[in-house]
Amino acid sequence: MLLNRETSGGRWRIRPDGTGKVTGKLAYLTDLSLPNMLIGRVLRSPHPHAYIRRIDVSKALAMPGVHAALTAKDVPGLNRFGIARPDYPVFCEDRVRFIGDAVAAVGAETAELAELALAAIEVEYEPLPVVDDPERAILDDAPLLYPEGNVFHRNEFKFGDIEAGFAAAAHIVEETYSTPRQMHTYMETEGGLFVPGEDGRLTAYSPTQHGFMDRMQLSRILAKPEAEIRVVSSPIGGSFGGKDELNVQPYGALLALATGRPVKLHNSRWESVRAGLKRHPMKIRMKTGVDADGRLVAHRAYVVADKGPYSTLGAEVLNFATEHVVGPYRYGAVDVDTVSAYTNNGMSGEFRGFGGNQAIFALEGQLDRLAALLGMDPWELRRRNLRQAEDPGPLGQPISVTGGAGQVWESLAGSALWGRRSDPALRSSSTAPWLLCGIGSAYVMHGAGLGVGIPDPAGGRLELRADGKIEAAFGYEEFGQGLIASLTQMLVEMFGFAERDIVVTIGDTDVVPDSGSTTASRATSMMWQSLRRMRGPFGGKLLEAASVALGKPADALALGEGGIRAAENGRLLMNYASLAASLAASSAQPIRTQTRFSYPTSPVDRVGAHYMYSYAAVAVEVEVNTLTGRVRVTDQYHAVAAGPVINPQGYLGQIEGGSSMALGFALTEDAVMDGGHYVTKNLDTYLVPTIVEQSGGVTVDAIEELPEGDEHGPRGIGELGSVGLAPAIAEAVYQATGKRVSKLPIDPALLQERFRFD
Amino acid sequence: MIEKTYLSAGRSAPLRIRVNGRETELDVPPSKRLLHVLRDDLGLTGTKRSCEIGRCGACMVLVDGEPVNSCLAMAYQCQSKSVTTIEGLSEDGMTLVQQCFLDEGGYQCGYCTPGMIVSVTALLANDPSPADTDIQEALSGNLCRCTGYGGILRAVKKAIELKREQTG
Ligand code: FES
Ligand code: FES
Repeated sequence: MLLNRETSGGRWRIRPDGTGKVTGKLAYLTDLSLPNMLIGRVLRSPHPHAYIRRIDVSKALAMPGVHAALTAKDVPGLNRFGIARPDYPVFCEDRVRFIGDAVAAVGAETAELAELALAAIEVEYEPLPVVDDPERAILDDAPLLYPEGNVFHRNEFKFGDIEAGFAAAAHIVEETYSTPRQMHTYMETEGGLFVPGEDGRLTAYSPTQHGFMDRMQLSRILAKPEAEIRVVSSPIGGSFGGKDELNVQPYGALLALATGRPVKLHNSRWESVRAGLKRHPMKIRMKTGVDADGRLVAHRAYVVADKGPYSTLGAEVLNFATEHVVGPYRYGAVDVDTVSAYTNNGMSGEFRGFGGNQAIFALEGQLDRLAALLGMDPWELRRRNLRQAEDPGPLGQPISVTGGAGQVWESLAGSALWGRRSDPALRSSSTAPWLLCGIGSAYVMHGAGLGVGIPDPAGGRLELRADGKIEAAFGYEEFGQGLIASLTQMLVEMFGFAERDIVVTIGDTDVVPDSGSTTASRATSMMWQSLRRMRGPFGGKLLEAASVALGKPADALALGEGGIRAAENGRLLMNYASLAASLAASSAQPIRTQTRFSYPTSPVDRVGAHYMYSYAAVAVEVEVNTLTGRVRVTDQYHAVAAGPVINPQGYLGQIEGGSSMALGFALTEDAVMDGGHYVTKNLDTYLVPTIVEQSGGVTVDAIEELPEGDEHGPRGIGELGSVGLAPAIAEAVYQATGKRVSKLPIDPALLQERFRFD
Repeated sequence: MIEKTYLSAGRSAPLRIRVNGRETELDVPPSKRLLHVLRDDLGLTGTKRSCEIGRCGACMVLVDGEPVNSCLAMAYQCQSKSVTTIEGLSEDGMTLVQQCFLDEGGYQCGYCTPGMIVSVTALLANDPSPADTDIQEALSGNLCRCTGYGGILRAVKKAIELKREQTG
C-alpha cells in the first residue's frame, strides 16, 4: 500500500500528544523549573588523554551562592555507569580519556555563578599521548588507554572455504569503506530537573530510553535503594539512541542530594557534542567474489570500529555490524572479522541503525561494484543472491519467516522511479550540462530486538480506573516516534474503545511496569504483543463485571466506544465510569491485567543474533552538480516489509525521518575530530539536512502481508528507514558521474569537474 | 534600533517589552538573550533552546511581526518591541497553521515545532501563497531532526490551500 494520508483514510489519526506540541504548551523535562532550584554544571576535561594530578574545588566552594562542588570522592556508591558494562566514570579519579570526561560538578544559584565556579576549580593534568586512530590503536606499539590493551571487543563469523571461493570467482571486488562520526542531533539537548523529596526520595525528571535502567544505575551510583528513586523520563525532544545511556542524571542526582535543593541541568549544544554519544565511525574492508552467473562465491569483511574510551553498547553495535555485513544474501563462503578499538576520540555508542548503517553501506557498495563488473543490472544481481523466505538468518540462525525479502525486491523493481533508469533523458540536461542525474538502489535486512543472550523483557498493564478510564501503562518512552499515538490506536482498533476512554501512562518508574527498553525497533512490536495477550483476559473481566452489573449474559455484551454495548446492535448499555462505580460499590477487585514476557529470540547460542527482521528496498534519484560537487536528492522510493502498519502517520514519519538521517550521513554530517578534539562544535559546522536538502519527493510502499499464522505481528520500523538511502545515493552518484564513493559523507571535491564554457 | 538609555543604564532601567500582547517590565541585564528572558524570566518555555547560535530556529519568535532567532536577540534590542511567542499565536485554541501541523503530522518529538510554526506563520503573513522555493527559503533556518520535513511540508501546503479557500 502506498502510504499517505489519503490511503490511510480514517486510520490517519491526530496524535493524542499533538496539541501540546503545536501550541508550545507541552512541558519537556528541560522546561521544568522550581523556585528554589540550583543550576548544575559539569567540569569536563580539556585534554583527550591525561593523568589528573590534583583537583581542588575549595575556591569554587568558597564562592557565595555556590552550594556544592563535587568530585569522585563525593560519589557514595559506584563511581561508574554504562548499560552493558559500567566503566564510564561519573567523575574521573586520576585519569581522563576523552574531552567529554567529567572531573567535577557544581550547583549554584545562577547559571552565571555556576560558570564562574567551574572556572574556579583547579585541576592539574599531565597530558598523555593521544590515541586517535582505531587502526593504529590496536598495533603493538600504540599507547594504551587500559593496561589490558586497546582492543575493546572482537567478533567473527565464518563458513565455507573462503580461498576456494575466491579462486573460483570470475570477478572480485576489493574496497575499503569509511563512515562518519554521525551525531544524533536531537533538538533537545540533554538535561532535566532533579528534586530531593522531604521523604528522602529523589525524583529525576530527565529523558532516557529506559527509565528502570536509569533508576537501577542511579541507585548504584547514589548507594540508595531503587525504591527511593523515581525516574520521570518522557516527553523527550528526540533521542535516536543518544539518550539511552545516562548523561546528566548522575550529576543532577548527586548535586540534589548533596545540597538538598532541586537542581537543573540543561546542556549547551557544545557540551552535548563534547560529552554525547555518536555513531561509531567504521572502516570496513571487503573482498567479494562472484562467478560468471553472478552468484556470490566468497565474501570477506574486516570491520574496525572507533569505540572511544568507554563501552556503552559498543560490543552490541559491533555484533550487529558483524551480522549485517553478511546481510540478506547467500554466499559460497563467508569470512568476517570485526574489532572495536578504544581511542581517545569522542564516545561512540548506540544510534538508530546500530551498526547496520555502516555495514550495509559497505555490503551494498560491493554488490553494485560487482554488478558493474558483470555488466549486470544491480537489482538483478541482488535477486540472484537473495535469501529465500525459509533460509536461516545471516549468522545461520533460525529466524521468523516472512516473505519480506522478496516482497520489497518486487516492489522496487516495479516502481516508477526505478523504471526511469532506462530513460535516456535522465542523465543530463542540455541547458545545464554540469548537472548529471543518476538512480541507485539498496537493499536492507535489519534485525530488531536486542538479540540472543541479552535480557529483553516486555510487558504492560491494563486497568479500569476508578474514574472509568481505561489505563494502559507501559514502561516505554515517548521521544517523538509516536508511541502514545500507536498505543492509543491499537487500543481503539483491538478493543473497540474510543480515544477519550483511554489514558496512556508511560515514562514514570513509580507507576509503570518494566516493559524493557524503548530501543532496537522493539516497542511497537512489544505493545502489540502485550495487548494481544491481555485482550482476552482484560476484555473478559470487563464483560463479566458488566454482566453482573447489568444482569445480562456476558456473551450478549461487547466492548465499545464509551462503554459496554449490546453485542447485537451496538447500543450503549453502561459507560465505563458506571462500570467502575458498580465495581467499587460491590467492593469487587479492580479490573486489572498485567503481562510479562520477552522479545522472541532465535534458539541459538550466538550472542546478539536476531530473530525478527524487517526488510526495505530503497531507490533514489540524485542530481550531481559537477561545478560544486554537491549532490541533491530529487526523489526517493522506499519499499518496506515490516508487517501490519499500526499507525500510518507514525510509520510514514519513521521512514521519512529515518531516511533524512541517512541523507545527512551520506552527504553532510560528520563530527570532525582532530587529535581527540572536536572541530565541529555546534550546528554551524555540523550540518543536518534542512528542508532545502529534503525537497525531493518521498514515496513509501508499506507491505503488510505476513505468512498465514504469523504470531509476531508488526516488525520494527524505527531504525530501518535510516539505513538504505546512503548506499543507494552512492550508487546513484556512480550512475550519474561514473565515480565510486567509498567514504561518507561524500566529499564534493571528488565530484567536481573542470568545466569549459565555450 | 538600539535604545541608548537602556543600554548604558545597565540594570537600573527596566526592559519594557510587550509579550503576547501584555506589557511587561523586567529587571534584566541589557545583554541577556531574549530566549532566556522568555524561558527563564517569563516562564514561556514554548520557545525552545537548542544551538544558541542562530542555526536551528528552535527559538524562533516574532519581534514586531518579523521572525527572529531569540537566542541572538539581546534584551536591549527588544526594548519597546512587541514579541509574539508560540503561546501567543492564538488567544485560545489554535491557528490554522497549528491545526494543519496537527492534521498532517508535521511534528514528531515536537521540539522544533514551536519555532517551525512561528516561521510558517511569518511566511504566510507576508505571502499567502508562496512558491515552493519561497517555502524552502523561509524554513531553511528551522532544523527538524525527526520528520525529514515531509509532514511539515504537507502541513504548510495544507495551510496555504485552506487559507486560499477561506479568503477565496
Ligand atoms: S537556539 Fe536559537 S537558533 Fe538555535
Ligand atoms: S519534530 Fe523533533 S525536531 Fe522536529
